[in-house]
Amino acid sequence: MNPTNKAIILFFHLFLSSAVFSQLRPVYNFQKDDSILKKTYYEQALQEKNKLISSLSSEYKTDYQEIYEARFSEVSKLLQSTRAVTDMEVHNYLQSILKKITEANPALSAKQIRLLFSRDWWPNAFSMGEGTLIVNAGLMVFLDNEAELVFVICHELAHFYLDHSNKSIKKNVETYNSVAFQSELKRLSKQEYGAGQQVDELIKKLEFGNRRHSRENETEADRYAFIFMKNTGFDCNGIKTCLQLLDKVDDSLLYQPIDPEVTFNFSSYPFKKKWIQKESAIFSQMSNDDSPLTKKERDSLRTHPDCAARILHLEDSILRSRQGEKFIINKTLFEQLKKDFFVEIAEQQFKSNNLSRNLYYSLQMLQNGENTSYAMFAIARGLNIIYENQKNHKLGLITDKETRGYPADYNILLRMLDRLRLDEIANINYNFCMGHKAEMSVYAGFNDEFNKAVKQKSQY
Amino acid sequence: MKKPLLIIVTLLSIVTIQSQTLSIDNVRKAALRTSDAIKEGSDVKGYYFFYISDKIDKNTNEYTLRILDNNLKVLKDVKFQDSKYVTILESSFNGTDLIFLFYDSKEKTFEYQVYGADGNKRPFSYSRVLSNKEQKFLDATYLSLDDEEQTLKGLYPLEGKGFISNMPSREEKDYTFQIDYFSTEKKKQWTYTPTEGGKKFIGDYLGNFNGVVYIEVLKFKSMTDQKPDSYILGLDLETGKQLFEKTTDAKYRFYPASISVLNAGKAYIYGQYFDVDANIAKDKALGFAFWGIDEKGKIISEKYCSWDLDIGKVLNVSAKGKIEDFGYLYVHHIVQMADGNIFAIGEGYKKVASALGIASKMLSRNGGMSTIKIKITDMAMIKFDKDFNVKDAKIYDKNSNTVELASGMEFVSAPLLGKLVKYTYGEFDYSYTQTNKDLTSFTVCYSDYEREKNYKGSTFNSISYNDGKITTDKIKTKSDATRSWVLPGKQGQVLVLDYYKKEKRLDTHLEKLN
Repeated sequence: MNPTNKAIILFFHLFLSSAVFSQLRPVYNFQKDDSILKKTYYEQALQEKNKLISSLSSEYKTDYQEIYEARFSEVSKLLQSTRAVTDMEVHNYLQSILKKITEANPALSAKQIRLLFSRDWWPNAFSMGEGTLIVNAGLMVFLDNEAELVFVICHELAHFYLDHSNKSIKKNVETYNSVAFQSELKRLSKQEYGAGQQVDELIKKLEFGNRRHSRENETEADRYAFIFMKNTGFDCNGIKTCLQLLDKVDDSLLYQPIDPEVTFNFSSYPFKKKWIQKESAIFSQMSNDDSPLTKKERDSLRTHPDCAARILHLEDSILRSRQGEKFIINKTLFEQLKKDFFVEIAEQQFKSNNLSRNLYYSLQMLQNGENTSYAMFAIARGLNIIYENQKNHKLGLITDKETRGYPADYNILLRMLDRLRLDEIANINYNFCMGHKAEMSVYAGFNDEFNKAVKQKSQY
Repeated sequence: MKKPLLIIVTLLSIVTIQSQTLSIDNVRKAALRTSDAIKEGSDVKGYYFFYISDKIDKNTNEYTLRILDNNLKVLKDVKFQDSKYVTILESSFNGTDLIFLFYDSKEKTFEYQVYGADGNKRPFSYSRVLSNKEQKFLDATYLSLDDEEQTLKGLYPLEGKGFISNMPSREEKDYTFQIDYFSTEKKKQWTYTPTEGGKKFIGDYLGNFNGVVYIEVLKFKSMTDQKPDSYILGLDLETGKQLFEKTTDAKYRFYPASISVLNAGKAYIYGQYFDVDANIAKDKALGFAFWGIDEKGKIISEKYCSWDLDIGKVLNVSAKGKIEDFGYLYVHHIVQMADGNIFAIGEGYKKVASALGIASKMLSRNGGMSTIKIKITDMAMIKFDKDFNVKDAKIYDKNSNTVELASGMEFVSAPLLGKLVKYTYGEFDYSYTQTNKDLTSFTVCYSDYEREKNYKGSTFNSISYNDGKITTDKIKTKSDATRSWVLPGKQGQVLVLDYYKKEKRLDTHLEKLN
């Protein structure tokens, strides 16, 4: 075979492989939430709230009631939205982990616990204080193993077990209603000069007290989390690796940074550098840490102790603990969930009307070869919605703005969205859809987005 | 005195559940004194909110100066104590440094404070006591306006170097002006004031180029002088020394309105021109002139576009600049794009009879009002090629509004009336023009009022040029808010502020113009 023929065959082979691959591109199946479970949890939370309110004495009853209602409102908003993950497979997985923990710690088994994942993007977990414990998908995607997830859950269980939330509420209600505090407020309300500064001082003092208390609570929750975890069979080194991860998670990226030019440069409509060029800005060299507070004051305002200090507190105990497993329940499902959660988070941003973040996550997936069918569909859909909103002067309601602290690549995308003109959005989306039309023809909904893009482009 | 906005800003931002039971909000209040966009030339780089955050004693307030970027993210809160008579009149940004002009109405002082790119206040500031003339001008103009959108505009950025201030002054019939340079690199300042030869000077800062500050000066020999001398003054940017004084009387009598650096780094001054013997108070302008000028004041090119011959070709323009149903054209701004095209953005106005003025004349011998009034008509855009040949022109319809004039204005020329409407009455609908950094797009913004069946209220409108295409857009600013107003945003965007009186809430949102 001469080299030319060989090259032609190789070319066709590659082309065909690619075409076959395109047709077989896996389509992501979204988790299916269980409305019965949501309703059950809602009813439980409602009952818990009503029980608490009916047990209140007359002292400061209105204040407590208002706080409990507000807390329930947050829980019910979560349960009634698409944020709460109640898909049966995911839920059962989480309950298996919880069961493992409660079986090893009989003190916890009497508690009514509603443990859920949420589809929120930011890395966090929290206890509402009335039995609802939430682990955000935005944290789960960064965890390396079940042992780390178990530590997160044990930490939130500890807050609930130790009743930290209700104790804090009690402390604050009593402080604010105390004779000393109210008379101070009354005095300041009548003071003509300097009242503002004194109110600031009063608030600062309260805040320092609250934050110190919060840090003490965190340290105590870490200690109890270790106690809860050590008999579960999971590797307690997960505590250390999890805390190390939490220390840098705000600056971490799951995927390589995106480059809008990679996706939005077309031979018939080239990418314009001016869409993302940096311009002069006020205080461009100001350090991120420009707080007027002293270092001591800033440290006093932290809600959590330093992760290094948290590790130090537990290091000896971890060393002395029995060797455990990184995975016990289901390693495959854990790894799958991490992948799935990224798409779930992205789609949740769409449902929450944050189109810039949905677009950002979709570009991350497309440029890193994960869930690319969904990513292509979401980009086409997102640009169509962005076009319509920009046309109606409502874009500001569905997109973030460049902000210090956001990842640099997200800020570049936001800058681009900020600068694109209507005709440019229409042209970009048209060319994007044209480029992926063939491979996306079987993806439900893509053709509709393509038709919208064609219609928008036809206006220019 | 300009009234502060009666908006109560809650300073607290505690989000803990517990704070909801507090009554601290009733104790801790702040009154917004002034706010505005911070600009670098025409480009909005941020916003400031200056409010009284506390009263320290009967003479002293604690102030908070909140500085936000152009995405409305808070960059810095600067707190300080000062006299209760202090307010901010203006701010500007020169690409690296930020300047604020503080005014103390009791001490009659100006203080210019500078903040560097690192966000810190420079160790130096510039202050001076206002002359009686300056104080009177300030009292009669800015401080008498009960409108927070009418802020003093006299600070111009010099990229990375400092700022130029142009402060007019007036006492009785004696007008003059003062140009100051404030360096932001180190404490360095110079001042220029015209000293001789005229009773009345009006100075307009045109711009700076190649180390020269260009000022357009009108010098009146007396208050009744109908043929004031017009000249371009060149000042050395480093020293403030006068480099040249170039009369603009040549083939025609030329009154430059602005300077732009066009055609690959050449400075051009432009404005309307008259017959050389014209009485500018009565006679009509012949058209537009563009002069190329170098840093020694030498005129290197002249181009005249007459109403009847050049602009008349593309618009239905009568001789002497009157366009059918449009009136006279007042040119607000001229921009050149990277593709070489030059655009003059203007607005129409014409004299019409004032029923109110006529009635006033009949009822009173002196007649406080003019028998004519000004009708502000449509927007217009004239396109020139890089050699200033008229290529196209278009009128953009809007609803007209009228301006009643003081008695005696019947005899004032249309071009001068245009200047009066712009600077004295502030009644044109034109708001501003912004260009992007690489000169591929610009946006002209103006306000309008609609009386349609489905919508009756204010609109904020735009004419945008982007990569050779022109589009128009409008935002309806009437909402369920007690009051809504629009501030400039970054190029192609506006900041809409909605104030809800009942909730004491101020909502802000940036919206893009299409």
